[in-house]
Amino acid sequence: MSTRTTSRLSKWVLGSPLIVFALIFVVYPVYQGIQTGFYSLSLQNPDTLFTGLENFGTVLTDPGFLAAAKFTLLFALAVTAIETVLGFGLALLVNREFPGKKVFFTMLLVPIMVAPALLGVMFRLLLNGDIGLVPEVLRGVGLDVSLFAPNTVVPLLVLLDVLQWTPFAFLIMYAGLQSFPSDVLEAAQVDGAGRLRTLRSIVVPMMKPIIFAALFLRLIDAIRTFDVVYVLTAGGPGTKTTTMSIYIYKTAFESGQFGLAAAASTIVMVVLIPFVPLFVKRIATPGAAE
Amino acid sequence: MKAAGLVIALATGLALVGCAPSTGSKAGGSGGEQGSGSGTVKMVLWPGPEGDAMSKVVDAYNAGQGSKDKIKVEMTLLSRQDTFSKEATLMAAKSNQQDIYFVASYNVGQYANSLDPLTSVDASNYFPVAVDGLKYQDKQYALPLDVSNHFLLYRKDLVDTLLGTKSQWPAYQAVAQRAIGERRDPKPAAEWDWNDYTAMAAWFSKTANPSSPTRYGTILQAKNLLYNTMIWDDVLWGSGGSWTTPDGKANLDTPAAAKAVGVYSTIYKNGWTSKDSSQAEFPETQAALKAGTTAFALQRSAGFAELNDKTKSPLVAGKLAIAPVPGQKTHVHALAVALNKYSENKDAATKFLNYLATKDAMSAYAEAGGIPAMPSVLQDKASINPAFPQIAESIDKYGYSVPVFPNTFQAYSKIAESLSGAWVGQQDAGPALKTANAALEKLLG
Repeated sequence: MSTRTTSRLSKWVLGSPLIVFALIFVVYPVYQGIQTGFYSLSLQNPDTLFTGLENFGTVLTDPGFLAAAKFTLLFALAVTAIETVLGFGLALLVNREFPGKKVFFTMLLVPIMVAPALLGVMFRLLLNGDIGLVPEVLRGVGLDVSLFAPNTVVPLLVLLDVLQWTPFAFLIMYAGLQSFPSDVLEAAQVDGAGRLRTLRSIVVPMMKPIIFAALFLRLIDAIRTFDVVYVLTAGGPGTKTTTMSIYIYKTAFESGQFGLAAAASTIVMVVLIPFVPLFVKRIATPGAAE
Repeated sequence: MKAAGLVIALATGLALVGCAPSTGSKAGGSGGEQGSGSGTVKMVLWPGPEGDAMSKVVDAYNAGQGSKDKIKVEMTLLSRQDTFSKEATLMAAKSNQQDIYFVASYNVGQYANSLDPLTSVDASNYFPVAVDGLKYQDKQYALPLDVSNHFLLYRKDLVDTLLGTKSQWPAYQAVAQRAIGERRDPKPAAEWDWNDYTAMAAWFSKTANPSSPTRYGTILQAKNLLYNTMIWDDVLWGSGGSWTTPDGKANLDTPAAAKAVGVYSTIYKNGWTSKDSSQAEFPETQAALKAGTTAFALQRSAGFAELNDKTKSPLVAGKLAIAPVPGQKTHVHALAVALNKYSENKDAATKFLNYLATKDAMSAYAEAGGIPAMPSVLQDKASINPAFPQIAESIDKYGYSVPVFPNTFQAYSKIAESLSGAWVGQQDAGPALKTANAALEKLLG
């Protein structure tokens, strides 16, 4: 057997566990999910009936889905932008030595170690107007704010998402800064570049692939937001904070309309998939981020 | 389409958008031989007071009658949040994994296709309204386990002080005039109508009455949650409305429904409830009453025991009392158990259901912390929970159940979604009720 044949064979042998895993747990379920969207399957009518594109049409013309899509997009853009900027700032801050750095670093990572649903329950207790610590502290300084009131609930959800997920963006960008070539910075220093100039002209451009990676991962995750919002608001008042995930969950498990829920899931996937190659190209291709 | 494929498909579809889906499988089985009338019976329940109480009943059954019948009941407690969604997935997959499902009045119509009607279980000892709420197309699909109704829980000390201090009445009348456009005297809680409720909410709120002993008069459970529709339904029914006309048409676009929404929005917009009420449900209401910041609230009967417990509610225990819901209408729903149509051990499961329908089993259930749907047991067990006799009386006198149809569960959800904005003044009542009515009409089919 030639070396080339052996090499090709070993690639398949070594890659086969992953391929099998992907086929069973990704490809087949995605196929089934898409297929379910073409059937009128509900708890009231467990006998499936092929309905073609009807479920997709129903979802796309449902004002509830469109409102959920709009809210989700705005929410995702807002939190992604804030978390990326804050994460980058924190990464710059931590990328230097200072007393208590390890403790600070550990504290920063705590929110992403807590299950989102549990975090939702914690926030619900902490922010409760009658027994919560936060409103009590705010009242102590003369601020009688109702955090769950209709006009404050959206900013509150954004804030909570930022608190929870900024550490994730930070972690990615901190890892990027750790592998940053120090000789480039030293050269800039020798040339007399100040901190801001170094940041603007050297650090940010060279970190662009990392920043895009953080942006991409956070954006995708933010579009899938479910746990904390569901625990705190269940999508209300009205449909004001209904995300697409909540819409799909309610369609499937409150309305029992599995076909519609699968169609909605498929639509979300189809809308998101074209963005993947664009981001991958920016992340993976040297110079593409310029 | 294969059932297992469907379950995996849904799981993935939801995972794509971040839901943590539940999964089921066709694997397993009850462990007993089909039709043998013995073996293992698998049952689903949710955790909390019902699950805790049931586990003791199951233990007693397994050690006693079950042993004689050669039946062992195994109970699985799913999470309180996800029990119904996980069951729905199992049902959609036509799973035989569980023999007995945990259901409720509000979803029995939706699940009926996956359940067997109970034809041999004696339901004569239960509240008729609880049994009726579990009937679909004249067939009984589930056996009541725990009954829930609503009460007005109020600070008796504060209301009694107001009633006994006539010098405060002119000030109360002035507050009532501003709140409901009518000067009226304060009344005992058992005599309140919705105008009294509104006027009292204003009186016990700092915004309308700076000398109020509480920050807010009441707390509204106004979160966009189907269970909150049940509470609001009391206002609707108590104002002379209902979901449907006698001939079964949607009936939410009516003056009675507008009045019911108006009660909520008036209280909310004027600050006679916390602005956080827009996201409140059962636990927030408990917290508000427990903290002593709120004078009264509509609450599920299950909430009283904790509030009357000195260790759990030291600030208010002994000060709270129960009165009928203003308007004298209380929503009744039963949490129940039902037979899986695809069970392979139906005979044994039915034997256990027959056991649950006895007074002995439900007495054990009450002793273990449940609220059984049997009036005679509630009367007999007043020493366990002083609210039991009042629950029995209230359900008997004022109880109603909403129509059972395949989409009852969705209807609760859609009404909450359509009206929760209007409840807190984010939307006008008229358009919100039209939306709710249209949604209900569609769901009624």
